[in-house]
Amino acid sequence: MTKQGATLAIEGGASLGARIDASMDEAAIIRAAQSGDAEAFERLVRSYDQQVLRLAMNLLRNPDDARDVYQETFLRVYRNLSSFRFDCSFSTWLYRIAANLCLDQLRKRRVRRTESSVVETEEGSVDRLETVPEARPQGDPQRAALNRELRTSIEAALNSLTPRERLVFELRHFQGMRLREIGEALGSSEEAAKNCLFRATQKMRQALGEFL
Amino acid sequence: MNCEKVRELIPLYLYGELAFDEEERLEEHLSACPACASERARCEKLTALLAQGEAVLSAELLSRCRRDLATALEKERRGRGLAARWRALWSKWLSAPPAWFRPVGAVALVALGFFGARLLPEDLAWPGRSAQAQPVVGRVRLIDTAPGGIVRVQYEEVRPRELRGSFEDERIRRLLLAAAMDPTDPGLRVESIDLLKDRTADAEVRRALIDALRSDDNPAVRLKAIEALRPYAHEPETRKALAQVLLADTHAGVRIAAVELLANVKEPDVAGAFQQLLHREEDQYIRQRTLKALDEMKASYGTF
Repeated sequence: MTKQGATLAIEGGASLGARIDASMDEAAIIRAAQSGDAEAFERLVRSYDQQVLRLAMNLLRNPDDARDVYQETFLRVYRNLSSFRFDCSFSTWLYRIAANLCLDQLRKRRVRRTESSVVETEEGSVDRLETVPEARPQGDPQRAALNRELRTSIEAALNSLTPRERLVFELRHFQGMRLREIGEALGSSEEAAKNCLFRATQKMRQALGEFL
Repeated sequence: MNCEKVRELIPLYLYGELAFDEEERLEEHLSACPACASERARCEKLTALLAQGEAVLSAELLSRCRRDLATALEKERRGRGLAARWRALWSKWLSAPPAWFRPVGAVALVALGFFGARLLPEDLAWPGRSAQAQPVVGRVRLIDTAPGGIVRVQYEEVRPRELRGSFEDERIRRLLLAAAMDPTDPGLRVESIDLLKDRTADAEVRRALIDALRSDDNPAVRLKAIEALRPYAHEPETRKALAQVLLADTHAGVRIAAVELLANVKEPDVAGAFQQLLHREEDQYIRQRTLKALDEMKASYGTF
């Protein structure tokens, strides 16, 4: 699956659990990384980093914030890998770290509550709506306006969710995680994740009703 | 199932998060109710619209993140390396101190003891305190009082020891078998089973693996045990344990591994276990795999 966007887009990752090269099992790579093998750690990072960045980018819609979450996630993994005891899958553990960092960011934003779609980054001002791909509006101004309206509505609908609802929706809808895995990663039950997803879809159905 | 319930369940249905029976009932309702069918179509449209809400992940951003992370990790490693160098220097100095250190050190220790005793408050004095290093207390077994305000404490000492040798060394083999059952550390159990998996020709090792498969509370350990038992899936005892796991294990990943392994064992008792499994299994993948395995065995799906 290749996503087309304004900039060179990168290939989407494989499904959870299938990302590590089959010739070396993931547990062996983790153990090697735990014993200080830098190459094994790098391999672990490369297996999951696109998913982590995509999660952060989808949730935070700001390249600088996404980069911070990316870096902090893998630094925490590096510092705490020795305490990983295979009590859950590595991806669940990793998503738990990344999800909590994203939740913290989203909660901070809710406190600020003054978000504009334009954010300042090291590369200058970026409209967060521009990070959302456009559905081929070229050559049709009316369609372009409609797409713009749709993207604004989607953005507003996503912003109307609580941080937790947004996270569960993101993990299920875009990351393709099962509700059981989401519950595990967020330290709650499958039922709680299910309720969260239900509330999120209801809110978005309401917010985007005019386009349906 | 009424319309209200169906509309609640449609989003979960579209995400494939309903149980098999629920899904069947919902589909039955949808085929008979045009209003709910059009609600389903609206939800599908919503899902398609939301796909446009996914942010583009640019290659530049990813490569920048990777570069920054590499720099940050290098800094972390340098910090760790510095600490390790200090530790190495210190232990080298302790194990082979310079010639002048012994007489100077001895005088310093005497002086430290002399002045330390004078400077410490008297209430820190502890009758019976020995000059030996304090033992690591594993468990206190008995506490008793004796005349004169003396307390008698009986305890077990724990001291770490290291043993090196090949697997042929009986002591190593025993320790690995013990570690495979260590209740306190699942990581240790996974490591041990990983080492034992090349020794499954040994019946005792196989028994330990089967025990782990049946009773270890950690799914990673049970998965490791299944992997180790792979060459022995045809053996009756292993087969029996796998069938039990198939029907009783709460972890879908473990059940999947058991199905995959048993699917290659074309025995009547395995077909029986698969047929029983179909009565209770809710995981769609496991059900499909089981049906395929029964087809391959030319066995019926149900029991009569």
